Amino acid sequence: MNAVDLEARIPNNVGLKDDKKLLRALEQWQPRFLDWWREMGPSDFREDQIYLRTAVGVGQGGWANFDYVKMPDYRWGIFLAEPEPEKKIHFGDKLGDPVWDAVPGEHRNVLRRIIVTQADTEPASVEQQRLLGHTAPSLYDLRNVFQVNVEEGRHLWAMVYLLHKYFGADGRDEAEELLRRRSGHADNPRILQAFNKPTPDWLSFFCFTSFTDRDGKYQLAALAESGFYPLARSTQFMLTEEAHHLSVGENGVGRVVERTAQLMKEGTDPRTVGAIPLDIIQKYVYEWSSASYDLFGGEDSSNAATYFGAGLKGRYREGDGLYRDPKALEQAYTTQVAEGTALRTLEIPLRRAMNALLLEAYYADCKRIVDRWNRTLKRYDVAAEVKLPSLRFNRQQGIHAGKWYDPEGNPIAQAEFEKRRTTWFPSAEDYATVKSCMKKVYEPGKIANWIAPPAQGINNNPFEWEYVKFH
Amino acid sequence: MSDARPRLVYVCEGGDCSEKGSVELHNDLKEMLKTADPDGKLKLRKYPCFGGCEHGINLALFPDKVFLSKLKKEDLPRVCDFVCGKSPVPAGHTGIVAKDVEQIVWDLLDTGF
Ligand code: FES
Ligand SMILES: [Fe+2]
Ligand SMILES: [Fe+2]
Repeated sequence: MNAVDLEARIPNNVGLKDDKKLLRALEQWQPRFLDWWREMGPSDFREDQIYLRTAVGVGQGGWANFDYVKMPDYRWGIFLAEPEPEKKIHFGDKLGDPVWDAVPGEHRNVLRRIIVTQADTEPASVEQQRLLGHTAPSLYDLRNVFQVNVEEGRHLWAMVYLLHKYFGADGRDEAEELLRRRSGHADNPRILQAFNKPTPDWLSFFCFTSFTDRDGKYQLAALAESGFYPLARSTQFMLTEEAHHLSVGENGVGRVVERTAQLMKEGTDPRTVGAIPLDIIQKYVYEWSSASYDLFGGEDSSNAATYFGAGLKGRYREGDGLYRDPKALEQAYTTQVAEGTALRTLEIPLRRAMNALLLEAYYADCKRIVDRWNRTLKRYDVAAEVKLPSLRFNRQQGIHAGKWYDPEGNPIAQAEFEKRRTTWFPSAEDYATVKSCMKKVYEPGKIANWIAPPAQGINNNPFEWEYVKFH
Repeated sequence: MSDARPRLVYVCEGGDCSEKGSVELHNDLKEMLKTADPDGKLKLRKYPCFGGCEHGINLALFPDKVFLSKLKKEDLPRVCDFVCGKSPVPAGHTGIVAKDVEQIVWDLLDTGF
């Protein structure tokens, strides 16, 4: 294990100073990253002091520091989780072999693709969120979006390190491309569709961090099992930061729900006071959750089988020993798919169903957060509930693509789907309603009328704390 | 669930629990287990968030399906004895989060594969 070097131009615990060639390459990439950050990172706020968490290492004695930082001065570093001694591959055909510390030649292209796909989401989300600061509902929220942004930037660093260190000239080219693609760009978009969707308002942002970032968590968790050990250790560390992003989303939507519930209990129509009605929140949930289901890829996938068999990507918490058959050769995964307006059973050999398994674990997690929002509604005596749509609903990828279901997952005719579309997804008018609520509130301790304050602040500070000091 | 499978101790490192010191609690427990569980029969793991955030710090023992809430640093000796099978479930820490929250945790860990 290398020592943590925090003084270096690029803070790291990967022994960069002993690998001159790599260090030079990354130091050349660094100014281009900063150019990208200035162009595509949060618009404005460059000179302001933001109360941010910075990763400073791994293991004992805390892993992060909190302090006021100007965002362009943020110390983006490269950190890998501590290695376990004599680590073995714990699933797939290579079960029991030592993990790889270099890229096995036969998996080079596949691994590169996996890493690039993950890496591309990191800058993409920063681009999607770049204007949100101008309409933040409180200083606390303003700080949170910036925290998420700088950490997505660090995740990009984590992946670019792998590309530079292990993939030679190809890896360096990919690292350049990561700074060139742009979220939502017509000719040069980001790789995955949900990362090209606009995030025009804070409810979208909270839905994004609840549902889309959560896909990221499950992808990272599957890669954290990888036999390619530098990738596993890198994603393990990223997961520590990711937990906060997810709680920003979960608590964010939760606070919007709470505010709406308070108003409903008082008998006030949220629309009349610049808050967001429950039916619009529901539409956002339908929209963002179903778009995020697609990020898992096809439920029946030969690629997924290859990744698993080769030991590149495991199941959720595979290393905890939760599964009976670490080779996943014996069982089948059973699901249901529409045939006309009925459902029929579909059996997929387990290895080919790895995406479906990961998606199911993700779904249980989403269910947990939606249930939590519903407990809030109940607390305010609101009878209505927020519903999480079925995994079959509104899919563009996988076995349900091109089929039509209602949010409960019942097969319906296409015409029926089209007819009910506006009752399920936000209309232009709904977006306008939400937009009209988005007014910045920059005074410490104050908050916009469409969202409740958080139960607690950051790092034991109260909500009223001055999380952003304007210059 | 076959007996060959390990016993897992999951400590929440989600936003709320880590604010209450769960990462330190995890690290301290890790140290204690070095002597209390020298053969490493238990696996200590971090868990991203159980959804019982308002009642943290939360810990789950699996496959035993025991969910402990409202843990503090001073509870650690009792928790350590309990997870090592040396003492009964520490009183006052179970049944605090909603049943469905607990159930989702077990569903997620009970993979069926
Ligand atoms: S933060 Fe620990 S249960 Fe959610
Ligand atoms: Fe990320
Ligand atoms: Fe994230």
